[in-house]
Amino acid sequence: MQKFTRQGGAPLRALVALAVGAMGAASIGHAIAQQIPAPAVMPAPPAATAPALAPAPAATAPAAAPAPAATPAIPPTWAQGRSAEQAKSTLTPHPPGLTALAVDDIPTTTLKAPQGFKVELYAAGMANARSMALSPSGVLYVGTRFPGNVYAVVDKDGKRQVKVIAKGLHRPNGVVFKNGALYVAELSKISRYDNIEANLDNPPAPVVVFDALPKDEAHGWKFMRLSPDGNYLYFQIGTPANITVQPVTHATLVRLNLKTNILETVAQGVRNSVGMDFHPVTKELWFTNNGRDWVNDELPNDTLNRITRKGMNFGYPFCHQGDLLDPDFGRGRSCDEFDKPVMKIGPHVAALGMRFYTGKQFPAEYKNNIFIAEHGSWNRTKKTGYDVIRVVLDAKGNAIKKEPFITGWANGEDFWGRPADVQVMPDGALLVSDDVAGAIFRVSYAK
Amino acid sequence: MMTGRAMSARADWRAGALALALSGGMLAAAIPYPARAAAPDAVAGRAKAQACFACHGENGIAVVPGVPHLAAQPAPAIQYQLVQFREKYRSGGGMEVMAAGLSDQDLRDIAAYFTALPAPTRREGDAQKIAHGQRVSQASYCQSCHGAQLQGQKHVPRIAGQAADYVAVQLRNLRSGSRVDMDGNMASAVKGLSDEDIDALTAFAGAMQ
Repeated sequence: MQKFTRQGGAPLRALVALAVGAMGAASIGHAIAQQIPAPAVMPAPPAATAPALAPAPAATAPAAAPAPAATPAIPPTWAQGRSAEQAKSTLTPHPPGLTALAVDDIPTTTLKAPQGFKVELYAAGMANARSMALSPSGVLYVGTRFPGNVYAVVDKDGKRQVKVIAKGLHRPNGVVFKNGALYVAELSKISRYDNIEANLDNPPAPVVVFDALPKDEAHGWKFMRLSPDGNYLYFQIGTPANITVQPVTHATLVRLNLKTNILETVAQGVRNSVGMDFHPVTKELWFTNNGRDWVNDELPNDTLNRITRKGMNFGYPFCHQGDLLDPDFGRGRSCDEFDKPVMKIGPHVAALGMRFYTGKQFPAEYKNNIFIAEHGSWNRTKKTGYDVIRVVLDAKGNAIKKEPFITGWANGEDFWGRPADVQVMPDGALLVSDDVAGAIFRVSYAK
Repeated sequence: MMTGRAMSARADWRAGALALALSGGMLAAAIPYPARAAAPDAVAGRAKAQACFACHGENGIAVVPGVPHLAAQPAPAIQYQLVQFREKYRSGGGMEVMAAGLSDQDLRDIAAYFTALPAPTRREGDAQKIAHGQRVSQASYCQSCHGAQLQGQKHVPRIAGQAADYVAVQLRNLRSGSRVDMDGNMASAVKGLSDEDIDALTAFAGAMQ
């Protein structure tokens, strides 16, 4: 054991020195690193056995220093990338919804829709209800990020039932239905529940489909969609930080070939996409992307993006929103190197789930529009988002306009719920999930 | 009143239930956000917390080794841990049993009781150890989430003045992975800490008021 300690001590100091070099002389890490000594009770390693990279211990290590501190850590994800001034900010992420509001407590009537539309409560009691997927028979599957539950909402004989079909999963945020099976994407693996609809009260043991995904918790939960041809699962692998030069595996959109089980990169430089859908006519993939925190209140925007060719790169961490060089990582780079979003959605709004409107119930001008759930900001002095927006496309399929569609989850700086995903129903109504209220709302239109 | 828990255990939904929900919504519209049928009630919470006192103390100061002080914890921090015990995402000290039967309203009331109690008194300790703990705290960004004085904020617990035997064990459990934290931030924060760091951090937290 001591032998390992002795041999391990010197490289640790070398690593710290490297990290300190990267962080800059003013950092706290530097102050700590300077105090990292050779372990006090250990003799200096003989020169012959010392790894070549190690600095001379005597020169850098005061022998009488206290027990060594750990390698300087990096801040928690949300606090990364703050300036010295911003480090004094009181802004911190909102606590996630771990419980569901009681039915009586859900203020559905505060939700406002355009003239002719109606919002009603569709289902409740689903703590942290987020991503939705609908089966052909009309069962709605709902994933969660925190409680580890997957829910099924069943309409039968005029009754609506909420069933917990899986518990204890690790961030089961992604849900897809295909050929009678439910696919669930957890943090680092995708599983399949075969013949689920016949067994909602006693779900089968899941079959692991793919489990070679990164385990980073930061931006590690998945949003997942099935390709129109049914052959691929599309999902994101988010960046493991707020802002960093990520491993090549991360800040990507990927797709898993369900026949060969081969994973491919669809796009790079995508910080974290928690919503995507295929255009009903062109079949192109469109997706939302969450911008970085801690630039300022107005920048950068979350974005709406469109995949038009293979190997696109949307700029993270160097360029945000297509035209904003990162104040730190963007030095010496140009946004011309990267692909552009089709629309800036708003700063810090947390644009999550999105769907094209393929129903027939809403007025004709809504056809093939996009609805986006905005989870709402935390990293902004005045709150923004907390709504569902409508993005209008022109005849050529270009995004030309955005406007609020459903509002009222927030009132000034207070909020009671946060929209997480949207889902078009067979009758043309639009469902909106809310992971703080633990509920789903139904938006319908009547002339 | 139907709780989220009751609902998730397969409640029937009829048109009547939806009508109830809508009328409830209209009622709630007149109430300031966030809408709640019943506000957290510290008096009710005290009654519901009787079973807690044997270990956590009537004043929220633990009377049993290894048990945390709850006095002056942020209310959401108490609620969140109780939910995690209730839903069996976290276990320890028999808390998963204690929390099993609590409704969401119970959690809010119990949290309201403990959060209003005077904070635990700071604990003296070895000055060199505390100083080392302070350096570890800075290097590990503890104060980013737990607050400048480690007083806690939102759902992040207060660790200022927290019982030493509790803090040290939790940090070790988070480091080993035997305790899974809510979002991965704690696992990554403690991963590189030595036993000496953990003991020093514990002493530093205890010395904060």
